[in-house]
Amino acid sequence: MKIIVAIKQVPERDARIRIDSSGKWIALDDIEFRMNESDAYALEEALLLREAHGGEVIVLSAGPERVGQTIREALAKGADRGIHILSDSLASYDALGVARLMAAAIRDEAADLILTGLQSDDLGLGQTGVILAELLAIPHSSLILKIEKTDTGIRVLRELEDGWFQQIEMPTPALLTIQSGNTRLRYATLMGIKKAKTKELRSVEAASLGVDAVPSVTLDSVALPSRQKSTQMLTGSPAEAAAKLVEKLQQEVRVL
Amino acid sequence: MLIASLHSAPAALAAFPLPALAEPSPFPLAEKLLLAALILVSAWLFWRRFGIVLRRILAARKDADFHLFPLTRRIWDFFWEVLCQAKVIRERPLPGLAHAFVFWSFLAFALVTTNHIATGFGFGFLDPAGFFGSIYFLLAAVFAIACAISIAGLFFRRFVVRPVWLAHKDNTLSPESGVIAGLIFLLMATYLGAYLVPAGSAAALVLWWMHTLTLLSFLPLVPHTKHLHLILSPATIFLSRGGFSRIPPLADDEDFGLVTGKDITQLTALQVYSCVECGRCTEHCPAANTGKELNPREIILGLRGYLNEYGPASEEPLLGRYNSQQAAFQCTTCGSCEFQCPVGIEHLPVIVGLRRGAVNTGEWDDEHGGKLFLALERSGNALGMAHSEREKFLAREELPAFDGSQEYCLWLGCMGGYDPKGREIIRSFVQVMRFLGTSYGVLRREKCTGDPARRLGNDLVFQQLAENNLENLAQNKVKKIISICPHCVRTIAEDWKAYGTPPEIEHHSEFLARHQARLPKQPTTGTTVFHDPCYLGRYRNVYDEPRSVIAASSTLVEAERSRERSFCCGAGGGLAFLGEEQGARVSETRVEQLISTGATTIGAACPFCNTMFRDALASRTDNAPQLLDIAQIAAAALPKTSQPNTLQENP
Amino acid sequence: MSTVLVFLEAKSDEPTRLSLEALAAGVRLAAETGSQLAAAMVGAASASGFAMLGGAAQIYAISHPLLARYTADGFTAAYAQLIAKLQPDFVLFPHSYEVRDFVPRLATRLTRVLLSDVIGFEVASGQVTADKVTFTRQLFQGKLNGHYRAASPAPVLASVQAGAFRADSPSATTATVETFTPELDAATIRTQPGEPFRAAAQTVDLGSAPLIVSVGRGIKDEANIAIVKELADALGAELAASRPICDAGWLPMERQVGSSGQTVAPKMYLAVGISGAIQHLVGMKASQCVIAINKDENAPIFEIADYGIVGDLFEVVPALTAAVRKAKG
Repeated sequence: MKIIVAIKQVPERDARIRIDSSGKWIALDDIEFRMNESDAYALEEALLLREAHGGEVIVLSAGPERVGQTIREALAKGADRGIHILSDSLASYDALGVARLMAAAIRDEAADLILTGLQSDDLGLGQTGVILAELLAIPHSSLILKIEKTDTGIRVLRELEDGWFQQIEMPTPALLTIQSGNTRLRYATLMGIKKAKTKELRSVEAASLGVDAVPSVTLDSVALPSRQKSTQMLTGSPAEAAAKLVEKLQQEVRVL
Repeated sequence: MLIASLHSAPAALAAFPLPALAEPSPFPLAEKLLLAALILVSAWLFWRRFGIVLRRILAARKDADFHLFPLTRRIWDFFWEVLCQAKVIRERPLPGLAHAFVFWSFLAFALVTTNHIATGFGFGFLDPAGFFGSIYFLLAAVFAIACAISIAGLFFRRFVVRPVWLAHKDNTLSPESGVIAGLIFLLMATYLGAYLVPAGSAAALVLWWMHTLTLLSFLPLVPHTKHLHLILSPATIFLSRGGFSRIPPLADDEDFGLVTGKDITQLTALQVYSCVECGRCTEHCPAANTGKELNPREIILGLRGYLNEYGPASEEPLLGRYNSQQAAFQCTTCGSCEFQCPVGIEHLPVIVGLRRGAVNTGEWDDEHGGKLFLALERSGNALGMAHSEREKFLAREELPAFDGSQEYCLWLGCMGGYDPKGREIIRSFVQVMRFLGTSYGVLRREKCTGDPARRLGNDLVFQQLAENNLENLAQNKVKKIISICPHCVRTIAEDWKAYGTPPEIEHHSEFLARHQARLPKQPTTGTTVFHDPCYLGRYRNVYDEPRSVIAASSTLVEAERSRERSFCCGAGGGLAFLGEEQGARVSETRVEQLISTGATTIGAACPFCNTMFRDALASRTDNAPQLLDIAQIAAAALPKTSQPNTLQENP
Repeated sequence: MSTVLVFLEAKSDEPTRLSLEALAAGVRLAAETGSQLAAAMVGAASASGFAMLGGAAQIYAISHPLLARYTADGFTAAYAQLIAKLQPDFVLFPHSYEVRDFVPRLATRLTRVLLSDVIGFEVASGQVTADKVTFTRQLFQGKLNGHYRAASPAPVLASVQAGAFRADSPSATTATVETFTPELDAATIRTQPGEPFRAAAQTVDLGSAPLIVSVGRGIKDEANIAIVKELADALGAELAASRPICDAGWLPMERQVGSSGQTVAPKMYLAVGISGAIQHLVGMKASQCVIAINKDENAPIFEIADYGIVGDLFEVVPALTAAVRKAKG
């Protein structure tokens, strides 16, 4: 099984968010970058599939030079080789543009399976994978918890709302977006890092892929939300406090 | 000098003739040949086994970081631990002294035995009737009596009293120990017997031969039994790595820790063959004492079993038949075993080495351990908390940022930065520093020192954290660090050295003790038992400082296991972050020991001990003692408004 | 006149609450841009649910046997055909699991990008073209808001986040429901979905529980656990506990939350009588909403709680159970 895993490098989850001088994005000077969390689960699924059925795991990522470090991390965890779409101005592409770059970079690989995380921790669009499937004209399914190989293709377990699940069968090649948290991630090891140094990492200039950068949507500006989380103390007699809490559960937490 | 002064008084001695040792008449040639043949057989039997052991040790990998020099430490260790038997005696005074007498007798007998064999060949050089000979033989006789009594006592202890830690895994005692004890007793008896028979008599001849045969039987037994330590342990102690729980650097790109026989180094092999199976390590091990699989002696003997079966060139995994992964990961790295070991075995490099082998290759698959490593990789702290939580705490407590102008960089650590209880300790300590007018600042960004990764054998994460922190500290021009966590202190001061030059660091107990005199006096109330944290006591040799802080406001009482013999809280070695324990909880066992002192307060000096005890005390409903860090104890003495007190600046 | 088209989802023939919220967003967008509002939902035109789509001038029942069970291929083709027919300027969706699954594909087919999970929009005054509407969506898990605008001509596609628009009182409609029958070919549907199912309810899986009520040492006695259990039952929540409770054997170990137990991330975590030791906090800090009931106002749990009640749990918990039961009717 030849599996491509599309991963994204994102600012670490608890990074301090400050808006940069352009007002269009956050200041990146003091930010550490990580592999997007659900992408890490996609990589884990790919590695498990390869361990069970053999084949090859190729990691694909787009972005500036620093993205190479995240690809190396994936190689250290066990991926066989990497493809890096080099671009210092990836933000000028929208999700469709990025997916087009990816499609162009992997079209010749003829993979059996393409995996991505469900969504990115920064933009949270949750679309790039599905768009990629459409561009490559292959079937897809999202929010996947489990992948099994069958005689004709694959059978996957998809998460639905409110604790419901569904099995879906589909032929390969196919694209799946993976939900976080269903497997145990492996930790990076010294041996893995040392082996990764000898693995192939191919860089492709985004400009050489012949993709039009004109976006169909643009991010005009960003702003910090006015509401900051703090503890609201609900006071009064037990009955009053309980009534206030029930109101919050209905109106704000929305679990009643 | 002694001999010279004795020489000056021959007349006095002649007046009191000393009893003389009986020697047999000179041997005919046939008897001499027989003796020579027996010696050759004994030596051959000895070498047949000892040669194998020696070759195995020498065939093991060289220790990459071994330096023979400077010799001063080595000579001192040899003098103190081998010649003076200091460790043997200190940790088990009565049997230790008995052992020391056997050892000293052996030293005294070196000359006697050489002369004994030489006499057989007609070259005896000590005259039993001569001046030096008579005195020396008598001196040896005194040792022989002490030795005979001692060995009989040790025999009685092993086979009649039967302390549990002397027994093997399967609860049996090694019968060869009994045989060896018998031989030693016989050696001494046959020597002493020669004082009771006339020289040249048949009885003297029989005794001579009995003594010789005992000796020649003893020699081949040595390399076949744990008595190999007679020969190896002096070398083991002399050649030890030094330091405490020093984890050696990885040798090269192919070194991932102890994975197979090929990773066993010469020093480790030497130590493994030196083990005398005394069980001191097991006796003090918190894991072995709470019903876990781990038993430090069996770890060492497991490696010996491995080397005996597969040898040092084998690619057979070390964690398999002889040692289990589960046991290796039950160690709290409290260091009791290494601290106690009388023959110079360094257990922690072995146990951490086995963990390194399992973790650096990804073999160790543990739900909680994996989570911990990912938290360290992704969040930079062991708890996996958001960095913003720490920033909120800094803002709320108005902790100033370190800007290079302050004297101390206050290192919060994971517990001080995120744990509510650890934060209370920081809060109290900061009150004291403010009162004293000590300038301090906190780094805006701080990562875990890597202690849990280091002890669990994850060299990748440890290196990343150490390098990242060292760079951050250098950029901020930090010269002096102060920390409430002994684990941070140890890791920064010692383990980071592998990747750079860490700033000076001290534990807050050292600071508090130094400034004790400037804190307000308080009436003494209640009793406090101090729990020595492993990483402050055995690892850093700090015992008195926290006690002096406590003694200022409370009556100090001691637990049965305290100071160097303190019993772990169960948190070390990364275990605070792992799942449920096998057997009883170490923390609860320790809390029982502390409570049994009847103290009203448990004094702690480590946020990990604190959190473990807090949990253990939580399940007790009957008047449990209160649990306080020494910083909290010190802060309690301060006036309620804790503004910087300038009047206190000039005492 | 421009058109706002809202696609709704039905469950048992009724539009979901999330869909009605998308419709409410559509009503507002249509009003502010001076557009007419069209609504569409998969189902038979006779289904009762269509009567609830008040505010829409045109209502379409998308009907085809191949749409009986959701597939990305089938829905993408069907929706694309209706969009081609109506040529709307704005297309709104509820941000449901289904929409997330296929609408990016649909947008790609239209060479557009879906503005997913929007929480609001703003129409520049006097402007009605699609590119003059700014949509706001959350970035970095809600720590930052991003303002997006279309850079290409209509249609603009956006999905609406749950709770962003209120749909408290759906109104009845008088518009006639028109059936739209897309042309679908079974051969183009590549996935075979199975029957949806619920995970077996017997085993405790705190990790995936949406609601958790957790009890700590403040409960004092095993017999008192019952009052917390009643609250959990009233809420439809799983019961969990901190370590001392499980250590004491008052609840099984599998219900322990914390560093040596389970790690959970529910929508709501209600901590009853839990002070908040770090070992517990690391196990539940990822919860979306934390509610704490504790006697001690200085308990660390309040530091991370969204809502807190300082009080005697033996009074607060029964009162809360009663209030929850009342609210649920």
